[in-house]
Amino acid sequence: MPSAPPGAAGDAAAAEVLRDLVRRGLAEAEVLTKRGRSRRLALELGSETSTFSQERAWAVRASSRRASFFAAGAGDLPAGESAAPGSPGGAWPDATGRPFRLPDPEAIPPWTPPSDIEAPLIGESEGLRLLASLGSELAAELPGARLLHAALEDGSSESELASSRGLRVACRRRLATLRVEATGPGHPGAGAALYLAAREARRFHPKALARRLADRLSVAAVGAPPRQGSAASGKRASGAPGGEILLAPDVASALLAALLPLLVGPAAVARVSALRDRRGRIGSERLTIVDNGRLPGGALECPVDGEGMPCRETVLVEEGVFRQPLLAWWQVDGAAPGAASGCCRRASWRDLPAPGPTHLYVRPDPKLSVAALLADVRHGHYLIDATGPARLDAEEDRFELPVCGFAVEAGRATAPIAGARLCGTAAALFKGIAAAARDLSFLPLDGMLGSPTLLVTGLELRAAT
Amino acid sequence: MPWSELDTAAVARTLAQIAEQPDDVVDAYFERREEVELPPEDDAPGLRVWREEGFAVRLLRGQRTWMASRDGIAEQPFAEALRQVARALPPVGYPEPRVRATTSSFGGPFGAAGASGAAGAPGTFGAARAAGTPGDSGPADARGAAGFLDLAHELRDFPLAVARAIRAHHVGIPVRLTLRRHRRWLQVVGSRLVPEPQSESFYSCVLESQWGRHGALLPRLDGAAAEQVAAAAVGLFRARNAAAPAAFRGVAVLAPAAVAVLLHEAVAHALEADTLARGGRPEAAIGLALAAPCLDVLDDPAAAPTEVGRTSDDEGLPVSRRWLLRRGVVEQPLADTAWSRLSPALVPGAGRRGSRHLPPGPRSTHLELLPGDAAESDLLAQANGGLHLPAASRGGLDALSGEFTLRFPHGRRIRRGTLAEPVGACILRGQVADLLTRATAVGRETLAAGAGWCAKGGQKLPVWATAPALRLEGVAVEADA
Repeated sequence: MPSAPPGAAGDAAAAEVLRDLVRRGLAEAEVLTKRGRSRRLALELGSETSTFSQERAWAVRASSRRASFFAAGAGDLPAGESAAPGSPGGAWPDATGRPFRLPDPEAIPPWTPPSDIEAPLIGESEGLRLLASLGSELAAELPGARLLHAALEDGSSESELASSRGLRVACRRRLATLRVEATGPGHPGAGAALYLAAREARRFHPKALARRLADRLSVAAVGAPPRQGSAASGKRASGAPGGEILLAPDVASALLAALLPLLVGPAAVARVSALRDRRGRIGSERLTIVDNGRLPGGALECPVDGEGMPCRETVLVEEGVFRQPLLAWWQVDGAAPGAASGCCRRASWRDLPAPGPTHLYVRPDPKLSVAALLADVRHGHYLIDATGPARLDAEEDRFELPVCGFAVEAGRATAPIAGARLCGTAAALFKGIAAAARDLSFLPLDGMLGSPTLLVTGLELRAAT
Repeated sequence: MPWSELDTAAVARTLAQIAEQPDDVVDAYFERREEVELPPEDDAPGLRVWREEGFAVRLLRGQRTWMASRDGIAEQPFAEALRQVARALPPVGYPEPRVRATTSSFGGPFGAAGASGAAGAPGTFGAARAAGTPGDSGPADARGAAGFLDLAHELRDFPLAVARAIRAHHVGIPVRLTLRRHRRWLQVVGSRLVPEPQSESFYSCVLESQWGRHGALLPRLDGAAAEQVAAAAVGLFRARNAAAPAAFRGVAVLAPAAVAVLLHEAVAHALEADTLARGGRPEAAIGLALAAPCLDVLDDPAAAPTEVGRTSDDEGLPVSRRWLLRRGVVEQPLADTAWSRLSPALVPGAGRRGSRHLPPGPRSTHLELLPGDAAESDLLAQANGGLHLPAASRGGLDALSGEFTLRFPHGRRIRRGTLAEPVGACILRGQVADLLTRATAVGRETLAAGAGWCAKGGQKLPVWATAPALRLEGVAVEADA
């Protein structure tokens, strides 16, 4: 166990609820208690908002052999006779619907909490200074550009989970998010947005973020759609399909998010089988995809998942070979290959645990810099941002992602590209990965999804309709 | 109502101490929520219940807002929150006004524990009814344990009613339904104003079938609601093999449910003060001819279905029958207190908040498109090759570019003034200013339609609408992949 839950009173209340539920025939019972606090600072068109929230909540789910319920609430955990299910004074709803089972406790490998978990939340003036600095840096990078909205949230929480199967875990979390929308010069100016997550708000660097925003705003303002049938359309001069396309981490992560059904859950096995070639590969040797809930330095780093199961590194695709989908303990039944990992997330105390990635990423190559990859592009594109969500045609197995970036000739950016769509199939993307750089970074999408810059061939860049 | 034990006068007096400057706005927002969900039969766990309560204290001074929020309602956390938003600490601590909420109206001890921590006496199912606490709860609030079972039965009966309604369309198709009842009780207390408490109660329903998904908000679970959900299921089934329409520009006739989403995205969001401010001064929109003269659009929270009707907004200000568009011209954009202080031409009263932990923002509650004089045959006339679109699955507005999209799971081709073969999923796309000028006729019969959930800025709120059908000409529709 990572640590003993703080607060003997909370422990006692949870134990009492568990005993009571079991005594009433609900043999599978689980109690989650959580306390959290967060500071949210926002700048919006000249106005400032500072919010400090404290939350305190619990969630209980329980099942007999025939029926089950879930109840959650803010405040202290109800306990005692008054909480009896179905009784005139009861807090719990009657058990209905399908029964479920809970996991048996498992040994949790040793884990040292990151030191920044202890760091105090960002202060009001410090946070507002960070946002204001982002605005001034943006204006310095691109005169006339301005922030429309910037919101910084820094929070921490402690939770304890106990079950009738003897599971007892406690967890501390720390997470900061930054959401920024900006507009470029002119009226109406081009727009760009960022949404980022880190363990601590002080990890957001205004100058670097301002540069990212300015790049996107500049490209959006002056970029042109790729010319059809030309090199800019993603075809080589010889007319061969494909072309070299450098996908920045944000673009690659957006594609990864769209292709998660190929990697998560037992149904992924059937979906991925269509991508296998004669050698059984679904991707190039440069493609390794991993999920790791306890990734050191990860924003969501934790030794256990939302059901108290130990998190571990799970290799889903190894050098192009599909090893296993991401599976929760209750999804391992022999139908899908591979072992379970602690991957059941609770979005909040209001939510039931559901399997999904925590830190799912394409493994980087520590020897390759982005500059080296760019220098290798003779004729192609460097796509720096996804400007909207991906669209999937499940029947045709094709995706489209609105993007912006640059045309590249002989390793140098020659013209900004905007109003473009990156099109292709999952097979073409996975098999077309020629290299991965070392600049792994994550985006808060469906969990934290990450990728380094990827050099790919076999995809097309088209003008948006 | 759960606020009978809340000493609003004492809270107001305490808040007044924080309002040091003449223009300061200080308020406290007390909130209690209950949601009960019945998942589909094959899902576990079974019945799901969420109950929570808490409060937020806010100080608005100039263009700055300070807010502190807490789960649970009790004196000490309230005093702490006051200290967090106050800009100058008093020589002695703030008094701790009595802010306990009534425990029994939740129907269980969930709220009691949150209300007062260890000191809170647990409430019980049925206690309110038994004690007959005056002003404590409405009939639905005081149901007690038996009432809770009634609710479970009510939720369980609805899928059966939907199945019967589907069979009445002469089809038998398997569907999965997730039903949830949402209830919210609010009490806003200002330093000078204590409006009457507000409450909302409604249901959300998500239908899943192998041919698609449909979400609906329903003020009540009655026969009309069952028919509404069944018609959506049957529509998905009947369009299961239909090809998506090829891209075209022409006539689109939107049924009331689709008009509700259109109004929300293209009129309400476009006329929210914070959206307008992205392009310049919000008040500059007043007097702008944004839409065709046949469009009269209002936001009137008081005219919403009884179960969700409001007399004051989430800032405690009285709501009004707000003309967003009068004969296509912008009259009064949506504004909350903060935006009306920045732009004095804007009238507050449209402040909404998704939760106590988030500050209010300008949003619509219940949109109305006033009826025109077109019969259904007029709407469908001379529209050969056009599309009839019964319901939109979702919509979106890019606040910067003004580009608007509305997605439809299916529709029907219009041929010789009648509805012909079904078509598959499609998207109506355009610039808001252009799209709204393309309205050429408004139906004469209005229908109440829950427009659905709106999640702008991470604040999930139910939005309602009453609308007739609408004919648009020269609009671009394309297939939705």
